[in-house]
This record gives sequence, structure tokens and C-alpha cells, in this order.
Amino acid sequence: MSLTIALAGNPNCGKTTLFNALTGARHHVGNWPGVTVERRSGSFEQDGLTLEVVDLPGTYSLAARSADERVAAQFLASPEVELVLNVLDASNLERNLYLSTQLLELGKPVAFVLNMVDDAENRGIHIDVAALETLLGGPVIPTVGNREQGIPELKTLLAAMARGESNRCRRITVDYGHDIEGELAKLETEICRDEKLEAAMPPRWLALQLLENSAEAKRRVAESHASEAISAQLAKSFAFLEPHLGADGATLIAERRYGFAHGLVKEVASAADERKTPTARLDALLTHRWLGIPIFLGILALVYSLSFVIGKIPQDWIAEGFKALSDFAGARLPAGELTSLLVDGVIPGVSAVIVFVPVIMILMGCIAFLEDTGYMARAAFIMDRLMHVMGLHGKSFIPLIMGSGCNVPAIQAARTIESPQDRLITILVTPLVSCSARLQVFIVIAGTFFTPFKAALAIIGMHFLGLGLAVLMGRMLRSALFSGPSSPFVMELPPYRLPVLKATLIHMWEKGSVFLTRAGTTIFAGATLIWFLSRYPGIANREWTAQYQDQRQAVQALNLSAGETEDRLKALELAHESRIVNTSLAARLGQKASPLLQPILDPDHKRPEAWKDVIALTAGFVAKEIVVSTMAVIHQASDEPKVGERLSPLQVALRDNSGLSPLTALAFMVFTLIYTPCLGTIAMIRREAGSWGWAGFTIAYGLALGWGLAWITVVAGRALGFA
Amino acid sequence: MTQNLPIPLSDLQPGDQGEVVQVQAQGPIRQRLLEMGFIRGVRLRVEKLAPLGDPMELVIKGYHLSLRRDESACILVHRVA
Repeated sequence: MSLTIALAGNPNCGKTTLFNALTGARHHVGNWPGVTVERRSGSFEQDGLTLEVVDLPGTYSLAARSADERVAAQFLASPEVELVLNVLDASNLERNLYLSTQLLELGKPVAFVLNMVDDAENRGIHIDVAALETLLGGPVIPTVGNREQGIPELKTLLAAMARGESNRCRRITVDYGHDIEGELAKLETEICRDEKLEAAMPPRWLALQLLENSAEAKRRVAESHASEAISAQLAKSFAFLEPHLGADGATLIAERRYGFAHGLVKEVASAADERKTPTARLDALLTHRWLGIPIFLGILALVYSLSFVIGKIPQDWIAEGFKALSDFAGARLPAGELTSLLVDGVIPGVSAVIVFVPVIMILMGCIAFLEDTGYMARAAFIMDRLMHVMGLHGKSFIPLIMGSGCNVPAIQAARTIESPQDRLITILVTPLVSCSARLQVFIVIAGTFFTPFKAALAIIGMHFLGLGLAVLMGRMLRSALFSGPSSPFVMELPPYRLPVLKATLIHMWEKGSVFLTRAGTTIFAGATLIWFLSRYPGIANREWTAQYQDQRQAVQALNLSAGETEDRLKALELAHESRIVNTSLAARLGQKASPLLQPILDPDHKRPEAWKDVIALTAGFVAKEIVVSTMAVIHQASDEPKVGERLSPLQVALRDNSGLSPLTALAFMVFTLIYTPCLGTIAMIRREAGSWGWAGFTIAYGLALGWGLAWITVVAGRALGFA
Repeated sequence: MTQNLPIPLSDLQPGDQGEVVQVQAQGPIRQRLLEMGFIRGVRLRVEKLAPLGDPMELVIKGYHLSLRRDESACILVHRVA
């Protein structure tokens, strides 16, 4: 026998810690259907029963305005939920009880957890649990979630309730006073005319939402055959209540709920000490007028270096490990299609996926840490003014900055932004921020065509261009996609708390594995497709393969020194690959597509080889750093500089043979910056924005914007007299 | 309580205390503010402004909340001495 328990509570009430304590590591993370709100579920066994626990998103109310609230309200009303467990923050009882007044209306048994009682005691708040039980009409278990105190008692209670052995639940609801209760009863009568409406949720709960003027409730009623009668009664109720009680329904109901909560708290809890809390002392420093920003930037720098400097070490191991594996396989297996699929397709594809995992796990760990301590809200508080000017939210700052390391975890980091509008805009503009992979392309190109000083300027310029465009696009998308005013910034600054290491580790693990399973397949499929396009039909040409083998044997037969032999073999391999790639489907595509890019990469019609850039850029869809290695293959010149030379053979080839001028090289850089996010980013956008549509939109606007700006670069540069 | 005219919450300075008179915002913002405890007669204290001057931090019903000027301007309060 099993039973489903919904875990409901305010944000920052320690709900997730409690969920972890109840279910251990046995849980499943996914999204709620149709929205990118995380759904965590797990189970535990007690007295031979299996109890399913679903952790709802933390909400202050069930008014069903935000996606979080809608998910919570819908799930709580569904027949699947048999028991509601309401987590209350003991040191912030009154506001936490506002949600409870709504949960009590659902007509389901509600049990309460009085969490973090230790914090409350430290602040001098003593709570009479027995009195609270009586007033709430349900069992109350005091807990300290992060130390697992009270968890065994809670499990025992839940099992008893599941077996129907606990009779501690009485139905208690807020008394809204004679006038409102009268109108509620009238509305209920009208609602009960429609049996379907009556069955979907308690009529009184729907009536309350109607009086609160809830758009969601009105939509529900509009679908009913009794909608006319209900709307008429609602209009009558409004006409009666507003002049009579001096305020609109929403205000009156909120007042009564808070009246209930306030009275209850006065009855069961002692007042908090007036002395300064540790949080207040910390905030005196962390959100200080002058020190707040420098401290924030310092923390940001630390997170950045942990993720992208320390994180680069395991990343390099992984990349080198896979490179060694592919070299090993390439050397042992006979040259041919299958070997190429393995060596140039599958292994680099898997590598391209796994290489992200260390960075994702470290950055997500850091962000979870900042979030769990309560600092994330302060970071948003500090940066909001600046970000608001850009049409974004204070919490958008961290993803944008982290984007300059790697866009993939940066987009994942946007999860911390509650408002779906702000989150979507942040996700859509983050790919414009130049990442470390694009930096590698810029270094090669700028190093080829500019003096070291100008090259540095050009590279820094690209980073600022990316950030500037992110801001500009943020503003444009906001006004184009969401016509209304920006979402309200009403953000709690929760008390600072020491996070539980276990929770942070679980979080890191979840983020890493979700990436591997969800984004990994997309990246892998894309990498294989690009392999196919850039290798066929040449790879299947047996004559070429045979020639290549003969040439290798000829070199090996020369009995040269080991170093010399290796150099010659490498040159042969490069020539062979170059022959395949330059006749591949991608090359044909490049030749077809090059007229499209001709105005930016070949404005004077003097570059018969401009199509080679197109192949490199196509390969860049997989990952931006591949642009460089693909160029090396196409131009048949290694991208590793020889000892004592400033330019690599690839750079020399680009300078002497590619026909790019400093101006078109700059246009190439601008285009590379913007034209499309890499596959990892695209997969992450799809996951985090919730549809392929947004991922496609990002590619499309990137291509258009990249083309436009590269074209402006060329036209403006020529007007200013540059070549 | 003083009997002077209500002023927008955004006019209070850090350290000032006020008593909520009315939430003038409309739509979802109004509902959100009501839920967060901006109810007639509730006492609040402005704690500080963010380093860049906006948003503001205030204490209401025993917890800390931050509001942008856009929102705090829609809440009418009586200044409490």
C-alpha cells in the first residue's frame, strides 16, 4: 500500500532539507508537465508502508499566479494527493501560516512540521506545540531538519495517518466574519450547480479565490455551464462587500487570514528578543553601502575561479583522456568508416558531453551554497538597480557573468530566478556573452591579423560587445515578448543559515546527472551529425584510404628518426583528412551557403576559398573551440606553433592563403561571437526554457544579429578606410 | 499614531517606521503585497537601501523583505514616530 504526501511551504522554510531527511538519497528529479519548475519526488518506508513524498515548489500562497504557485495549487487539488504536509518556519510563524490558511481549505488532512525550532529558540521564540495543534486542528511535529531531529517521530506520524489511525485532524478554516461567510455560502450554492466544478475542488475554496479576484479561478468558472449564475452572484457579492466593509475582496480576505495567523501566533508563541540577530550583524557588512559591492564582486571572483580555473583541471584530464583514447583507437584500428565514426565521431562526441560535467557540478555547487546560506538574495538586492536598468532582475547578474566562463552552466544557473519572464530573458541573452571556447577562436584569428596590442584590444572588445548585446537584447526581448510591466521585485531576505553539506552534494549530483541524461543525448546526436556531414562521402572512398595507407607505409619504410617519422605521418594524416573534409557534404553545403556570407567574409569577391570558413563555422555548432581544429584540417596546417615561432602553421596559412584581411577577420570574429550557441548551450536552452522553439529562436536571432553586426563591421570599416 | 496624511512607503528613510494604510498597486503585484503582509495597520520599519539606492530593505511581520521603488511607491503608510 502506498500513499502520496505533498510537501508544501514557503520558500526558505527548510522544506528541501526536510525532504532529503525524509527520503534519503532515493529521489527523482524532473520537471512538472509543461513548465520548467523542478519536480522532486521520493519515498520512504515506515512500518511496512511505502510513502511517496512530492516536494512542491516553495510558495507564499496558492493564488496560482506564478508557474510555481499554479503547479502547487493544481497538484494539491488533484486526487493523487492524499495528505498535505505543511512545513512551517518556527522563527517566522505568522507569515508561514498565511499559506496554511489556504491549505486548510483544500479539504484534505493536513499535518504540520514546525521546522528549525532551534533557530526560533535562539531568537527567544518559544512555541507551545500542543496549543498550536489545537488551533490548527492537525498534528504538529517540531523538527530541526538539518540535524534530522524529529524525523523519526514525523515518519511514525505519517505512517499512522496513512493507515487512518491518527484522529488528530479536525477541520478548521479561517472564519472570515459574518458578511464574507454569507457571500461565500451564496457563491458555493451557485458553484454546486455544476457537479464537475464541485468535484474539482472544495466549492468554498473556489468561492474564496473568486472573491480574491483570481484570474485562474475565473477561467475555471468560465468553462462551466453554471458560469453565468456564478458570475452574477460574484458581481452581487462585490457590490455588497466593497461599500459595506470598505475594501475589495482580496484585501478583506488577506486581512482575515493574517488576522487568524496573528491571533494564533499571539496565543502560542512568545515574542522574539529585540537584540540583534547574527543575520543583522552579517548584513551590516554584506549589504553595506560601500562594502557590499566589493564583497559581492570578491565572492563572484571566487566562484568564477573555483568553477573555471579549478574546474578546468578535471576538464583537461577528461579532454586529454578522450584524446588519448581516440589516438589509441585510431592507431590500432584499420583506417575506414567505422574507425572514423569511433575516433572522429563517437569518442569526441562523448568527450564533448562529459567535459562539461566538472564545471557544471562545481558552479552549481557554489550557487546552491550561496542560495542555501541566504546570500543569493543579498546578491540580487545589491545588483538589482543595475540589472533593472537593463530590463533584467538582480538575480540575472550571476548567470551573465558566469556565461563568460561557459554558457552551459550559466543557463542552468538562471534557475535561481523565480519570475519566468526574467528567467526566460536571461536564458535567451546569456549565449551572447563570450565564453572561454570563443576566446580560443579569437586568440587564433586576432593573433594572426593584428599586432599583439591590437589583438588584445579586439579580444577585449568582443567580450564587451557580447555583454553590451546581452543588455540590449534583454531590453528588446522584454518589450517585444512581454508587454506588461516587469515582474514585481518583492523578495524575502531570509536569515543566514549554514547549508547542509549533504544537500549541496545531492544538488551537485542532480545537476550533473540531469545534464548527462537530458542535454547529453542532444549534444551527442549533434556531434555525430556534424561528423557525418564533414566526413562523407570521402571517408567511404576506398581508393583514398588505400592511397593513404600506402603513403604511411612508404614513410615508415624510410627508416627516418622517430621524430621525423612522426612529423611526416602527421602531415599525411592531415592531408588525408583535409581531402575528405574539403570534398564532404559540409564542403558542398559551404560552397552553396558561401554567397550568403559573401558580404561579410568576402566583400570584394576576391576569396575563392571563403567557403572553407563556412565549414569551420558549421563545425562550430558542436563547440566553438572546434572552429580552430576544423580550420587546421581544412587548411591542412597544424594549430600548434613550432618551437620559437609566434604564429602556428595554421595562422601562417590563414594570413598568407585564406584571403582574409584584418577587416574581414574582425567581421569573422564578430560573427563567431554571435552566430549560434554551441550544441551544449542549445540543449540547455531547450531544457531550461522548456521548448525547442526557444532554442530555435536563439539560433535564428543569433544568426541574424551576427550577420547584421559583421556586415556593419565591414561596411563601417571600409567607410573609415580600413581594408 | 500620527494623524497626518499618508505618504508613499518609498518616502520613508532608513530607520523610519510606518503603519500600512493601503496598497494602491493593482493586479498581481497587489495580491503579492497583500500575501506578504501589507495589511491595514501593520507596522513596518525601513532597514536600509541597497548600495545603488534601490531596492529598499524593510522589516514587516518579523521578517526581512526587499522592494523596488516601483513597488514601495504604491504602498501608502503613516509615518510612526
